[in-house]
Amino acid sequence: MNRTFSIISAMLLAFFFIGCEQELSINEAGYLVPKTVEQDSSLPSITVNNTQLHAETFGNPANPMLVILHGGPGSDYRYLLNCKAFASEGYYVVFYDQRGSGLSKRHAKDIYTIQIMLDDLSAVITHYRTSPSQKVYFLGHSWGAMLATAYINTYPQSVDGAILAEPGGFIWQDVIDYVGRSRSFKLLSETLNDATYLDQFITGKQDEQAILDYKFTLMASADESSESSLGNDGPLPFWRSGALIQEALFEAGDREKPDWTTNLKTYTTKVLFIYSERNKSYGLAHAQKVSSAYPNVDLVKINGAGHDMLSFPTGWSNFYPIALNYLKHL
Amino acid sequence: MRILKLILTLSLLSIYNSSAQTLNWASLKKEQRHLANLNIGLDYGVTAGIVYSYHLKTALPMAIGLEYSMPSGKKIGDDFKTKLGGQIRWFRFSDFNFSTRIQGVFRRFDSNYVTLTNFGTDVSGTLGYYKPKWFLAGEAGFDKAIVTHFKHSDLMSDNFTAKNGWYMPATGGNFYYGLQTGFSWQSHDIILKVGKVINQDFRTEPLLPFYVQIGYTLKMK
Repeated sequence: MNRTFSIISAMLLAFFFIGCEQELSINEAGYLVPKTVEQDSSLPSITVNNTQLHAETFGNPANPMLVILHGGPGSDYRYLLNCKAFASEGYYVVFYDQRGSGLSKRHAKDIYTIQIMLDDLSAVITHYRTSPSQKVYFLGHSWGAMLATAYINTYPQSVDGAILAEPGGFIWQDVIDYVGRSRSFKLLSETLNDATYLDQFITGKQDEQAILDYKFTLMASADESSESSLGNDGPLPFWRSGALIQEALFEAGDREKPDWTTNLKTYTTKVLFIYSERNKSYGLAHAQKVSSAYPNVDLVKINGAGHDMLSFPTGWSNFYPIALNYLKHL
Repeated sequence: MRILKLILTLSLLSIYNSSAQTLNWASLKKEQRHLANLNIGLDYGVTAGIVYSYHLKTALPMAIGLEYSMPSGKKIGDDFKTKLGGQIRWFRFSDFNFSTRIQGVFRRFDSNYVTLTNFGTDVSGTLGYYKPKWFLAGEAGFDKAIVTHFKHSDLMSDNFTAKNGWYMPATGGNFYYGLQTGFSWQSHDIILKVGKVINQDFRTEPLLPFYVQIGYTLKMK
C-alpha cells in the first residue's frame, strides 16, 4: 500500500511540474506554422487576383522573366531558391508561393480550382512584366511543371519557353499512376506508420488551417525518408505546407480528370524536360510518356539526384548548365 | 494550471476506473482473476500490443488493466501508446450484455521534426450477445487527445521555430465504431475486432480509417 502511495505521489509531483508550464493554444497564428503574408506585413507580397501572394524577384526587371513554379500542390518556393542564380545570368527571376501555399494567404477549400491557379499565374506575370515584348519563361518542378503545362496548353502564345522537372503527368491517369508509385511504402515501414500514427494526436477541422498545415508538413516529410522511392538527398527546406489546397486540387483532379495536352501540339517552342536518375517512381519510360505530349522536347536525365533535383548540390550542379544552355538558345 | 488539473483528472480516472481488453463476459469465471492478452492489428498503423487485466471481486463484473502497444517501423519504441483503465458490465439480459470502458491514455509520437507526448482518454460502450463459447458485439467509442506536449527538433527549427510546450485546447479526437467477436475454450479466448474511425468533425477520416485487432487471451486464477 505504501509503495502504491509513493508511486501515485511521485506521479502527481511530476504532473505538477509539467502542469506549471505555460499553456499554448494550438489555434494561435505563428505557433506551429509561420504567419502568412496576411498575418505578417513584413513579408514581401503582392496583391493580385483577389488574393495576397508571398513573392520575391531577383535580377533586372527588364530582363527576360523566369517564373519559378513550385511543387505540391501546397509546397512553397523555399526549396527552389537555388534558382536565384539565374538572376546573375541575365534573367528576371520571379518566385511566388501559390495561393494557399507557403506564406501566401489561405482561402476556404472551395476557392481552389485549376483555373484560379492559372488566373493567379497570369496575374503574377502581368504584375511583374515591364514591357509587352518581355519574354516569359517557366521553370516548374513536379506539380509546378504540371501547372506550367496547363498554362501553356491554355495560353500557348504567352510562354516563350519552359523547363519542366518531373511533372507527375499532364493527363490525370498519368498523375494517379505516378502518385501511386511515389507514395507507396511498405506496410511495416517507419515512414508509413509515422504518417498514420499522427492521426490520433492531431486532428483539425476545415477552418483550422494552421493545424492541418502543421500536420501536412509532418506527413510531407515522408518524401525525404530513406524508405521513399523519390531518391532525395535529405530534407528539403520549407515554410509551410498548404493542406487544403493540396486536398482541394487533388479532389478537383479526381472529379474533372483534366487533360492538359489537348492543345500542346500547337506549342512548337522547344521544351526542356528533365527527370532524375534516382527517382525510382519516375524513370525514363514515364518521362518519355509524359514529355511526348510536347512536339518539340529535349529530354534530359539529371544524374546524381532524386525528385528534388534542383535543391541539392549534385543535382543542381548537373542541372544548372543544362538549363542555362537551354534558355540561352531559345 | 488547467493542464495540471486535466492531467490529474485523467490520472485519477485511469487509476480508479476499472480493462480494456476485449472480454467474453459469458466465459469469464469468477475465479479467473488474471487476464493476459497479446494482440496484433491496425490501430493508426500496424501495431502489436500486450494487455494485463485484473478481474475484480465486485458485485458487477469489472476488470482493471494496463495496455501497451507500439507501431512497427525501424525505430522500435519511439512511438507507443499505453492505456490504464478498465471496463464494467452494467447489465445482462438473457445472453445480452452491456459494458462500458474508460481509459486514460498516454502516448508518444516521434519523427524527425517533433516529439509529441499526449495525455488523453478513451471511452466506449459495447452491447453484444455472449455465449460461453463465442460472442458477437458492437462497440462505439471516442478517443480524445486532450493535451499534447510538442518538442520540436533542430531540423524543424532550421525551417521554422515552432513553439515547444503543452498545447491546448484538445489537439485531436476520433470516434470509432465496429464489431467484436471471439471464440472461447477452457481458459483461452481468440478475439477479433474490426471497425471504422472518423474524425470528431464527422467529415474527415484519418489516413488509416479503420482498425483491426486479432488477439489471444489467457485467463488464469
